[in-house]
Amino acid sequence: MKLSFLPKDMDWTCELCRQKLQPGFVELHYAGNVFKVELPVCPQCSRVLIPEELAVGRILEVEQLLEDK
Amino acid sequence: MEQKDLREWEARCIQEEPPACKAGCPLGVDARGFVLAVKDGNPVGARAILEKNMPLAGIVARMCEAPCEQYCLRAICGGSIAIGALECLCVEAVPPRGKPLRLPPRPKKVAVIGAGPSSLIVAFDLAKKGYPVSLFHLQDGPGSWLRNIPETILPGEVLAEELERLARLGVLYRRVEALDESPWAEGDFDAFYIGQDDRLAEDLLVGLGLPDVVTFSLGKSGWFTGGLSAEDDEYRFITDVSQGREAAVSIDRFLQGASLTAARVALRHGKTDLYTPLENIQFVERLVPRAANYTEDEAKREAARCLDCQCLECVKSCVYLKEFGAYPKTYARRVYNNSAIVKGSHSANKFINSCSLCGQCEIICPNDFSMADLCLDARRTMVKEDRMPGSAHWFALEEMRSARTEAAVVRHAHGRQSSSSLFFPGCQLAGIRPDQTLRLYEYLQELEPATGLWLDCCGAPGHWAGEEKEFAVIIRDLEQIWLDMGEPLLLVACSTCLKMFREFLPRITLASVWTVLAERPPKSAKPGVTKVLSDPCTSRHDQKTQAAVRTLLEAIGQPLSPLKNSGELTECCGFGGLMESANPDLAKKVTKARVEQTDREMLTYCAMCRDQLARTGKPVSHVLDLLFADTSHGATEPSVTLSARRINRRQLKNTVLESYAVGQSIPAAQWEGLALHFEDSVSAMLEERRILEDDIRKVLYQTKQEGSSLVHGEDGSRIASAKLGQVTFWVQYKEDNDLFTIQRCWSHRMTVVGGTV
Ligand code: SF4
Ligand code: SF4
Ligand SMILES: [Zn+2]
Repeated sequence: MKLSFLPKDMDWTCELCRQKLQPGFVELHYAGNVFKVELPVCPQCSRVLIPEELAVGRILEVEQLLEDK
Repeated sequence: MEQKDLREWEARCIQEEPPACKAGCPLGVDARGFVLAVKDGNPVGARAILEKNMPLAGIVARMCEAPCEQYCLRAICGGSIAIGALECLCVEAVPPRGKPLRLPPRPKKVAVIGAGPSSLIVAFDLAKKGYPVSLFHLQDGPGSWLRNIPETILPGEVLAEELERLARLGVLYRRVEALDESPWAEGDFDAFYIGQDDRLAEDLLVGLGLPDVVTFSLGKSGWFTGGLSAEDDEYRFITDVSQGREAAVSIDRFLQGASLTAARVALRHGKTDLYTPLENIQFVERLVPRAANYTEDEAKREAARCLDCQCLECVKSCVYLKEFGAYPKTYARRVYNNSAIVKGSHSANKFINSCSLCGQCEIICPNDFSMADLCLDARRTMVKEDRMPGSAHWFALEEMRSARTEAAVVRHAHGRQSSSSLFFPGCQLAGIRPDQTLRLYEYLQELEPATGLWLDCCGAPGHWAGEEKEFAVIIRDLEQIWLDMGEPLLLVACSTCLKMFREFLPRITLASVWTVLAERPPKSAKPGVTKVLSDPCTSRHDQKTQAAVRTLLEAIGQPLSPLKNSGELTECCGFGGLMESANPDLAKKVTKARVEQTDREMLTYCAMCRDQLARTGKPVSHVLDLLFADTSHGATEPSVTLSARRINRRQLKNTVLESYAVGQSIPAAQWEGLALHFEDSVSAMLEERRILEDDIRKVLYQTKQEGSSLVHGEDGSRIASAKLGQVTFWVQYKEDNDLFTIQRCWSHRMTVVGGTV
């Protein structure tokens, strides 16, 4: 899995912390596998944004690959 | 699946059995493949097919009397294919394919005494295998009686060429005065072949005795013979050639010290288990060439008469079986390999989960091959071994669980302490047509006032998904509910539920509502325009219900037009077996293929079939639309969305509860109250991505409670997300005065852990 999935539009703010999301590292887990990827993250509470294109694109693909492994 | 199970499955599908022509060829030439190559204008390919099984094709193709033609199935409709003449033309038109391959030399030597056709074949077959062969012939040269064949049939030049090819394979020609025992006296050979289709010396023949009819071995160890046909035998040439081939097989086995008979396949003489349907075949007469031989064009036309004998009966009728490009025999292998594999991709998972388990193939197949049994068994194994893809049946199983909990209720009729009958509409009718569910219940109560109502799911999705444990619990639970209700007669509306109850709860006394309605059709029934009736696939073996529906429709005056695959042969709407869940694209194709079988409006008695078929834009009615005018839905009414089905079921339960006592209904959860708004395109997105309004409301509610949305810096859009069960949902929306306008929704199954900048 390619490591960076930062969307073009990074203009998102965490409502709780009033902090702008910043590039950060996140672990994605599935079927016993772990991927470390770069995504927009709230610097204070670690809330993550999984953009739509990523969810319905690469993530879905990898999920299906892992399910058939 | 064990190896022996695989063998059993494979043996059931006879698609790989040889066609009659091939089974009728003593050399096992793939005549079907050959003829079809000629038809396709591929003479080079055709010759290659010949040479695969035919030794010295230049001679054999010209001389063979084509016994295969006796068995050709085309015979009954215009005469057998002129396989012999086509072969002849082919070898005339296409030169041989270079030098035949020869295996590495072996030490043991073979003497072939005599040089008739059978001897040439023995020499050819054994030389190819690497044995040094000496061929003993008389003064006039090898070939024996072949040398006297008219030029028009076997040109001397061709014979010379083929003999030359034999020499290039390493066959040593030895000219002798007489074909007698002298080669044996040389003491240099390990095996002998006596070709009786040549002028042998008397003293060699005397005392030779008769050979074994299968192995062509003689009493003397290492001695074999053949070429025994009488001169006037109709199939003299090919019989001798065949004997040569069989003797060569024996000699090879003998020289390797192997058994001459073990696992030896006998000649089939045209016998085969391949099933070829012969109805609807047009009569086309065998093409007589204008000159002595076919022209290339004539050959193509003659070859085009070939029926391409195949079974594939099940495949022709099933979109799913076609989709994966093969037939059940190979599919059984795929399923087996899929479970045998330890490392690497389980590439057949999707295949296994795509079958609608509808059972049509089993009816069609001459050997009752059931893909449903094969796939269901494989699914159960996958679940047991914990390698069922989590996403494959997730949605359908969640539907089932919801229908069995938040939407389930069972009650005796108002004011009664017992039920003589209990109406079980099934979760799909309840979700898709809640109004009609109640209307039908009302009518059943008119017929029998002590009729209770049971909203629930029969557990079919669990069964189809291979979730044996969960399904077993459901079955026990259903049985207990029925017992607690006093063991009433269960009136079931859904064909799937009927099937499940019959199979897994045989104790329960059952009747199909349709048989009840057939006896007492409601007065309000009104027929519509002529329609075709599509039986649900789960009614396949339920002739009684199928007949009852027809009786009912006749009684109310509904005109029907026939549909090809009906009754026992009926087809799946695309939902069955959870095909829809595991392979939505294929399900769409299945649905489309079904509605395309008629130009008329369709009619069905399964709510799921109705909505599935109607999704294509086809006008489809449910029989209930005809029965009760006051709750009738139009044939072109759009299908109910997944979201609405969920909500409908809950509401139906509440309506039922309320009807017993005001205030009895389950209070709505707080998230249920959120007001949503979306464009049609967003609704379509939800449907496609299997995201429910329920999910959206839950996510928004939770996010709102926590104040944990993400807010866009410019346009004020927000994103909310929450993990509900196995899936994380995301919603992009705008909020205005407590109205949530939904812009986008997506989901994933991966879980997010941590997050550090
Ligand atoms: S019709 Fe074609 S495939 Fe069938 S037996 Fe005849 S030649 Fe063979
Ligand atoms: S109907 Fe299908 S499964 Fe049965 S023998 Fe023919 S190809 Fe095989
Ligand atoms: Zn934060």
